[in-house]
Amino acid sequence: MGEAALPRDDSATPPQAAARRRLGLRAGPLYSLPMLTLLAVGFLAPLIAVIGFSFSEPRSFDWLAEPTLENYRTIFDPSNTVYLSFLWSLWFAFLSVLILAVICYPVAYGLAKVFGRWSMVITLLLVFPLFISENVRLYGWVLFFIKAGVLDGTLRALFDAGIGDFLFTPEAIVFGLVYVYVPFMLFPMTLGLSMVPNEVVEAAGDLGASRLQVFREIELPLAIPGIIIGSLLTFVLAVGAIAESKVLGGQSVIVITHDIEIAFTYSQNWPLGAALAVLLMLVIGVLVMTVLRYLDLDRILGRR
Amino acid sequence: MDERPSILELVGVTKQFGGLTAVDHIDLKVREGEFFTIVGPSGSGKTTLLRMLAGMETPTTGDILLRDRVVNELPANRRPTCMVFQSLALFPHKSVGENIEFPLKMRGVARDKRKARALELLDLLRLPQSYYARNVTQCSGGERQRVALARAFAFDPEILFFDEPLSAIDYKLRKTLEKELKDIHKESGKTFMYITHSLEEAMVMSDRIGVMRAGRLVQVGTPEEIYTQPRDRFVSEFMGEVNVIEVRKGANGHAVGVELPGDFVLPGGAVPFETAHLVVRPESLRFLAGEGEAENHLRGTVYNEYALGSRIQYQVRVGEKVFIVERLRQQAYQGGLDQEVLIGWDAKDSVLVTD
Amino acid sequence: MSFTRRDFLKTSAAGAAALSAPALLAGPARAAREKEMNILCWEGYNSAEVLDPFRSMHDATVKAESLTNDPTMINRLRAGETDVWDLINVNNPWARKVMYPEGLIKPLDRATFEPYFEKMLPGFEPPYKWAMSEDGSELLGIAQRFGPYSFVVNTDKISKATAEDQGWDLWNDPANAGRYGVLESDDWNVFDIFLIAGINPFVEHSDADFEAFDAAAKKVFKGAKLVGDIATMNQALISGEIDFHLTGGTYSASPARYDGFPEIRGITPLTSAIPGKGGVAWIEITSVVNNPQLSPLASQFLEYVQAPEMAHTVAFAEGTFNPVTQMGQKECFDLFTADQLEAIQWDSLEEDMARSAEYDIVPDYDRALDIMTAAKREASGG
Repeated sequence: MGEAALPRDDSATPPQAAARRRLGLRAGPLYSLPMLTLLAVGFLAPLIAVIGFSFSEPRSFDWLAEPTLENYRTIFDPSNTVYLSFLWSLWFAFLSVLILAVICYPVAYGLAKVFGRWSMVITLLLVFPLFISENVRLYGWVLFFIKAGVLDGTLRALFDAGIGDFLFTPEAIVFGLVYVYVPFMLFPMTLGLSMVPNEVVEAAGDLGASRLQVFREIELPLAIPGIIIGSLLTFVLAVGAIAESKVLGGQSVIVITHDIEIAFTYSQNWPLGAALAVLLMLVIGVLVMTVLRYLDLDRILGRR
Repeated sequence: MDERPSILELVGVTKQFGGLTAVDHIDLKVREGEFFTIVGPSGSGKTTLLRMLAGMETPTTGDILLRDRVVNELPANRRPTCMVFQSLALFPHKSVGENIEFPLKMRGVARDKRKARALELLDLLRLPQSYYARNVTQCSGGERQRVALARAFAFDPEILFFDEPLSAIDYKLRKTLEKELKDIHKESGKTFMYITHSLEEAMVMSDRIGVMRAGRLVQVGTPEEIYTQPRDRFVSEFMGEVNVIEVRKGANGHAVGVELPGDFVLPGGAVPFETAHLVVRPESLRFLAGEGEAENHLRGTVYNEYALGSRIQYQVRVGEKVFIVERLRQQAYQGGLDQEVLIGWDAKDSVLVTD
Repeated sequence: MSFTRRDFLKTSAAGAAALSAPALLAGPARAAREKEMNILCWEGYNSAEVLDPFRSMHDATVKAESLTNDPTMINRLRAGETDVWDLINVNNPWARKVMYPEGLIKPLDRATFEPYFEKMLPGFEPPYKWAMSEDGSELLGIAQRFGPYSFVVNTDKISKATAEDQGWDLWNDPANAGRYGVLESDDWNVFDIFLIAGINPFVEHSDADFEAFDAAAKKVFKGAKLVGDIATMNQALISGEIDFHLTGGTYSASPARYDGFPEIRGITPLTSAIPGKGGVAWIEITSVVNNPQLSPLASQFLEYVQAPEMAHTVAFAEGTFNPVTQMGQKECFDLFTADQLEAIQWDSLEEDMARSAEYDIVPDYDRALDIMTAAKREASGG
C-alpha cells in the first residue's frame, strides 16, 4: 500500500512527533546536530572571526567596528615586501613535496610490494617519532648539526674535517620540512601503490614494457591518487609550517606563518595578521582546487 | 600422430621455493600451433610452471627451450610469448583501445598503425569498433575477456599462455567462451598453452592434455587417451566420477575382487600385477537383463537416481560399495528404486591401473 | 596558524559566554571567585614551585598563562579579558604609562604594600617610580624580578672589557658579520637596533632617524648567523657557532651560566645614545587587574611572593634565573648559593643596573617594528 493512500490525521500523531515536524527536524539532521555544533563552534566560528578581523581597523581589537579594506591595501602596497614571505613559503612547500615524492616512492614501493611482514615493523618505526613533539625533534637535529655537535664532532674526530654551514640556512629548513612530513607523504603513497594489482604490473612486463615503462605507464598512473593526496597533505602542512624555519633555519628566512605570528604578537596588529591568514588560506585553497580539478580523481580511480 | 616441430621444450625443469619443490623434473615438448592444456588440482604446480614458461620465474634447475634456444633467464618482456591472467590484468586507467595497443606502444609502433591493428583485433574478437574509446571498467565480463585476448594477440606472440582465465566466469558464458577460444586458436594458428583445474574445460578445447600432480607431470596425451587410458588411479579419478574396484591377480588372466566377490575379465594389454584397481566409467556401466549380456557383471540394488538433463545417474549399492551408473535418458532404467538389478560392462570399456 | 585559531577561539568563547552568562552566572560566579585566581605573566610565576604552595594554602584553583612579550599580554586585557585575569606581570613602563591610564589595572593599598619596598634592594625605595602612577599618588604594582638586558658575549672570544668598551659598535664592525646571532625578541631588538644606529630609542624619531634605523636593521639581520630563542642562542654560543648575540642579559644567559658555562655573560656597554647610560634593563611590575569580579586572592598572592623563601623560589623558578628586589633582605639573600649568585652575575649587577636605562615605551614602535620585520625578510636566505 502506498503512503498516499493513508488518511492524514494530525490529531493522531503523538505531540512530540508533531513538535518535531513543526521544527522541520527529521532524525538525520537531529542526530548530526552535535557534530554540526562542534563544527560550527570549533571550525566555522574561528574562521569567521579571522575573516571578520581581516576587515577591521588596523591595530584595533574591535571586531568589524568599522569595516575597512585597509589591511589588504597594506599587504598589496608595492613597497610592502610581505609577498617575499609568501613566495618563500610556497617555494619551500613545493621543494619539500618534490623531494618527499622522490625519496618516499622507493620506500612506499618497498612497504607495499617488497618488505612483506617487515612492513609493519618499518611502519611502526616511522610512526614512532610522531609521538614526540615536533619542536623536540627539531631541537634534536639542531644538536646534531650544530658546530661541534654530533655530526660535526664525529666528522672532525674521524676525518679532521667538519661540516660547512648547514644549520640556520634555507637548506636546513627544507631538510626539516622533509624530515617532519615524511609520514604524510609516505603512507598515502604506500596506500596508492598497494592499490596497484601485482598481476597488472606483471602483465605490463609480459606485454613488453621495460621496468621504466611499467613505472611510467602502469604503476605511476595507478598509484597517483595516493601520491596526489600525499602531495596535497604535505604541501598544505609545509606552507603552514613555522617551527622548521625558526628552529632549524634560525629565522634565516621569514616564512609567511612567521609574519602572521609577528603580526599577532610583537606588532599586535591582529587585523593585519588575520588578513595575511585569509590570503594564505585563499592561495592554498586555489592551488588545491586547481590540482584537484586538473587531475580528475574519479577517472584516475577508474570509477568512470 | 602429429609430427609438427616442437616450439617449446622443457628438460628436467624444476622449481623450488625454500625447501618446497613446486615443480619437479618436468620434461615436455609442445608442438607448434598446438592447444596444450595442463590440468591439475590447486597446488599441483601448474601455475608456477606456466610462470616459468612466461618468464616471470626462473627454473631452479633444468632448461626451457624456445625454438631450441635456452630462455631460462630471459625476462618476460623479451620473450615472444604472452600471458592471459586469471584476473585478466587489464589496465583499469586505460581505454579498450589503449589496452590493446599497449604492447605495440611498448615496441614503439606508430600511433596510426597501432590504432589500425587494434580495430582489426576488435573485429577478430567480435567486439564493436565503438568499444575502442570505451573504458575497460565499463565492459562486461565476456567483453573484458575478449579485450584481454585482443591485447595478447596485438604483438603477434608465438605462444599464448592462459592462467585459468575462465574460472571466475559463470557457467553459461564460460561454455561459450571455451568454444570461442578454440575457434580463435584455429583461426590464428598460434600455440596456446592453457592451465585449468577443470577437466571439462581441458577436454573441450585441447589438442593434448598434461595432467599434473604434486609438481610432476603424471600423464600427457590427447583428451581421448587421457580419458580412456588414464595411467593411474589419480588421473582416472581426476577425469571425473569413476567406479574403482580393488582387485588382485586371479586365475587365467582374470582379476578377483578384494572388497567384492567376483571374477573380472580384464581389458587387453593389461600389465602384470599382484594388486591393482579396475576403473569403470559410469557411462560404461549398463543395466543387464541377463548375465550373458556383458563380460563382467555385478548384482546390487538401485539406491537413488539423479536427473542430469540429457542423462540420468543412478547409485547402485553392491555390498558395501556404491557404483555410479550413467545412462542417456532414452536408455533410462525402467524399474523402481530398491529393486535388485544386474549391472555390467565389457572388458574393453575398463582400465586397469596399478597405482 | 594554530595560534591564531586558538586565540580567536578563546575570544569568541569569551564573547559567547559574555552574551549568555551575565544573568545566570553573576551571583554564583562572584562567590566562586573566592577560590580562584588567574595570572597573566612571564614564565616563572606560572611554575608549580611558586603556585602549588599557594594553591594548597588557600585550597584554590590558580591558573597562570605565560607569554613572552608585553604587548600581547596588555592587548589581551584591551580585547576584553579584564574579567578573566586578576594579576598581570609585565615590564616596568606599562603600568603607569598605559594600563592605569586606560583603566586596565587597579591601584594597590599603599599602606599595605609600601613597607615591602622599604625592604628591597637600594634603588627600589618607596615611592619607586615605575610602581607609581604618573602623578605619584597611586601605587600600581609590586617590583620583584629585574635585570640588565643588552647583549651577551662568550668572554672566551671577546673579553668583558672589550665588549663593554666597543658596546653597540660590535654590530657596526663589518668584520663581525656571521659571528653573531639575534635573540627572537622583537620589541627589545627595536631598542637595540636604534642603539646600534646611534639613536636613543625612547624618544620621538625623525624620518632621518628611521632611515638610519632601517640601514642598521638591514645590516644586523644580513650579518646575523641565526635568529632564535634563548635555548638556541645559548647552544650556539657554547658550541662556537656564534661568539655573541643581540638582546640578552642575566635573564637569557643565566641558564647557561648555571649549567657551568660562566664564559657566557650578559654585557652592559659603557656608553650609548641614551644620555648617561650604556644599555637597557627591565623591572617587572605585577599589578592587579581592574576585574569587575576581582579575586580576593590577588592581593594575597602579591604578599605571598614577598616572603624571602618565595622570592628566592621566584628568582630560581624553572626556565631562567633572575635577581629579585627582595635580595635587599638578608634572610632572602642568604638563600642564594655561590653558584646561583654567579649565574645571575651578582658581581657586576649593581654597576650594570646603574649603567642601564630602564625599559621604556618607544613612541613610534609600530613603524620601527614594520621596518625591522621588512629588513629581516629582505635578509632572508642570505
